[in-house]
Amino acid sequence: MSEPSLDVAPEGTRRWDALRAVRPGAAALRSYGIELVRTYGIVVAFAILVAAVASQNSVFVSRDNLLNISSQWAPAGVMAAGLTFVLIAGGIDLSIAANFNLCAVLAAAIGQHNDPGIAFLAALGLGTGIGLVNALIVTITGIDSFIATLGVSFALASISQILTGNVPYYVDREDFLSLGAGSWHTIPYAGMVMFGTFILLGIVLARGVYGQKIYAIGGNREASRLAGLRVQTLYGSTFVLTGFCCGLGGILSASQLGTAQYNIDPGILFDVVTMVVLGGTSLLGGYGAMWRTAIGWAFIASIGNAFNILNVNSSYQNLVKGLVLIGALAIDVYVRRLARAGKT
Amino acid sequence: MNRREAAGAPDSPPAAVRAVGIVKSFAGVQALRGVDLELAEGELHGLVGENGAGKSTLAKIISGAYAADEGTVYARGTELASGNPHAHADAGIAMVYQEPKLVPELTAAENVFLGKTIRRGPFVARREMARRLRDVAATVGIDVDPEAKAADLSLAKQRMLDVIRGLDSGAQVLIMDEPSAALGPVERGSLYRTIERLRSAHVTILFISHDLDEVFRLCDRITVMREGSIVATRPTADWTKNALVEAMLGREFVVPKRHRTDAPVEASPILRVEGLTVPGALERVDFELRSGEVLGIAGLIGSGRSTLLRALAGAEPKASGLLLLEGREIAWPSTVRAALRHGIAFAPEDRRRYGLVLGLSGASNVALTNPAAVSKALLLQGRKLVEYAAGVMTPLGFDSRRLKVEAAFLSGGNQQKLVVGRTLGRQPKILLLDEPTAGIDIGAKADMFTIIDRLASDGLSVLFASSELEEVVEVSDRILVLGRGRSLGLLEGESCTVRTILELAFGVEREADAA
Repeated sequence: MSEPSLDVAPEGTRRWDALRAVRPGAAALRSYGIELVRTYGIVVAFAILVAAVASQNSVFVSRDNLLNISSQWAPAGVMAAGLTFVLIAGGIDLSIAANFNLCAVLAAAIGQHNDPGIAFLAALGLGTGIGLVNALIVTITGIDSFIATLGVSFALASISQILTGNVPYYVDREDFLSLGAGSWHTIPYAGMVMFGTFILLGIVLARGVYGQKIYAIGGNREASRLAGLRVQTLYGSTFVLTGFCCGLGGILSASQLGTAQYNIDPGILFDVVTMVVLGGTSLLGGYGAMWRTAIGWAFIASIGNAFNILNVNSSYQNLVKGLVLIGALAIDVYVRRLARAGKT
Repeated sequence: MNRREAAGAPDSPPAAVRAVGIVKSFAGVQALRGVDLELAEGELHGLVGENGAGKSTLAKIISGAYAADEGTVYARGTELASGNPHAHADAGIAMVYQEPKLVPELTAAENVFLGKTIRRGPFVARREMARRLRDVAATVGIDVDPEAKAADLSLAKQRMLDVIRGLDSGAQVLIMDEPSAALGPVERGSLYRTIERLRSAHVTILFISHDLDEVFRLCDRITVMREGSIVATRPTADWTKNALVEAMLGREFVVPKRHRTDAPVEASPILRVEGLTVPGALERVDFELRSGEVLGIAGLIGSGRSTLLRALAGAEPKASGLLLLEGREIAWPSTVRAALRHGIAFAPEDRRRYGLVLGLSGASNVALTNPAAVSKALLLQGRKLVEYAAGVMTPLGFDSRRLKVEAAFLSGGNQQKLVVGRTLGRQPKILLLDEPTAGIDIGAKADMFTIIDRLASDGLSVLFASSELEEVVEVSDRILVLGRGRSLGLLEGESCTVRTILELAFGVEREADAA
């Protein structure tokens, strides 16, 4: 093999720098523009949101409030981090809310009379196990993940209801509650767990061999199979990972609230899916990033928090989220249509 | 509509289509730099050029799919509204796309009349549509069952549906963008016959193709484009194949001759296959692959060419048969990974669909089969990735600066090099190449032949499958001819000619028709 040529784009250059390094073709220039809009569109929108809310009430950007947001929205953030993998691999997991709920119930039920370590491990195991069930259904039967996880979701919701009998489990053990309520130098543990999850899974996705393979199977499953990737195993593994994250979310929630019952947070499925999609990760697979999900998380969490701070009737909250989601996707589709029209 | 006399000799009849001074840029890069093209009434006009020369862009401006930045398109002297497909269709211009735009689950008739369904009251007038389709099809000698599902039709017939659709709406000018790409010899024959009939019916055709032989055979005049400009338009008789290629490339092109080794045939082949069967596709195929040879796989569409390669690559889980690798019997690989472990690497056909992950960079695509080489502790190393990819791709003449570009933005030739280059990263013993030259321009084809030749000289054993019989003959040491899933014969030495391949292949066709 000959020596690699020296005029390779230096490490750390961004995608568009690499594009500029070659003769600037029409496609490259267009992709540069489109990449800009797709990348910074959500960032700009988020900045406007923050500025608008902060101008009405400066408490919004206070340290206490930001730390409060990070703790309060930690369960959704953790689950969004996992779901990002499923979406990039070309699937969807609609069982996350029911999984999260059942894990919270299990943690609370065991945590009432046992060591919290046992309760938390059991909940993580349950979440991961449910993820494995999802994985087996979609890979072995080949049922589309949308339907498969919807079915699992119904079953899990029913099990939660049967187990609790509509009566909440209360936990008042100090050690159980410390994960959700405790903090280190005023930084809440829950927020740290969530940011840690974002960072760790973000590295796995962007830099890991595993992440690269997830992009590959989401981008072109057949080509990946013919290149020798274990496509089914990889695809299934994203559901297992998401299941684990649901278990983690369930633990955080049970520990924060000190209670768990049937239907803890009816809006959480919508919130989590919106976080991932709003950030710009494609529902079609193959495109997305963890930092996108982090911004999507910040966006949704900020909207939720702003309603409290500005004392707006919370009935309007989902209306606003829905419109934001549709608006963001409409812009994305429009930009991509421009991209396609530009290809010769 | 704005009617105006087109410029031109006052007493000559207006051209069927006349494009004047067409300029078109995409994001500041000129795809067309002031192009003039004239299609005379009833002529078959060939348009050739390398990928990216601007052929398709020009075609889309003539059909109204794109608006020109500057310049005008006239149809019979009438100026057409730029970028308005309806105005262009009303003027009788229709386009036959390379990829037929069909609804696979609808019938042929429903596809042809899509958007202008014939009704009787609130009902779809099926019989009326079928009758009209047959009438139009008969005028150009196309035989299509109106009730057949589009997905069940052959590729050639799917393309014909576009033609019928155009003719039904009164098109007098057809633009055909690579209509023969991906068609086998038999289907090509039927396409050529249809084109001849269209010519007799005085339909004007703009025929875009990479296949110079068919352009020579069919066209009255040929126009060559290069880098967004017209190089020349001449009657076919005034062109030679070499002159065409030179005009396309802007330089002389030497067809690389495969240098064949005169090494004695080894006693034991590197690979021996006995009774390879894939249910529904291949039946008891036997062959041997010798060390350092290129074994061509030839056959018509449906002969099982691709299936044979896929079976060896581990991509056909139902494949069965006896496989001897360097004299040792091994279990038939049922996954691509298993085949890779045995040193059998596969470059699939249709690079955009089966070969590449278009959203990933070229380097990432190359490393997909060998992540261990570019990572440390399960994390990708950017430097290793680029070095590994450059190490594999530079010898193939791939500009390593382009490795960081998303595969989607590379030319067809460079994409194909990625698909082939990727297989070399794990030092395979056997290389399976399926249609490695489909739809790439003539310069990239020459590169590909050189690469194959060098790999074989280095001792790699290559299976080369292609629907271009001339290429199979040019590249291969020996040729295995397949037909309807069976082996029809093995050609060696002097008998490796297109003629013998066709004789073998059509022998089976006749037999099956008679039965």
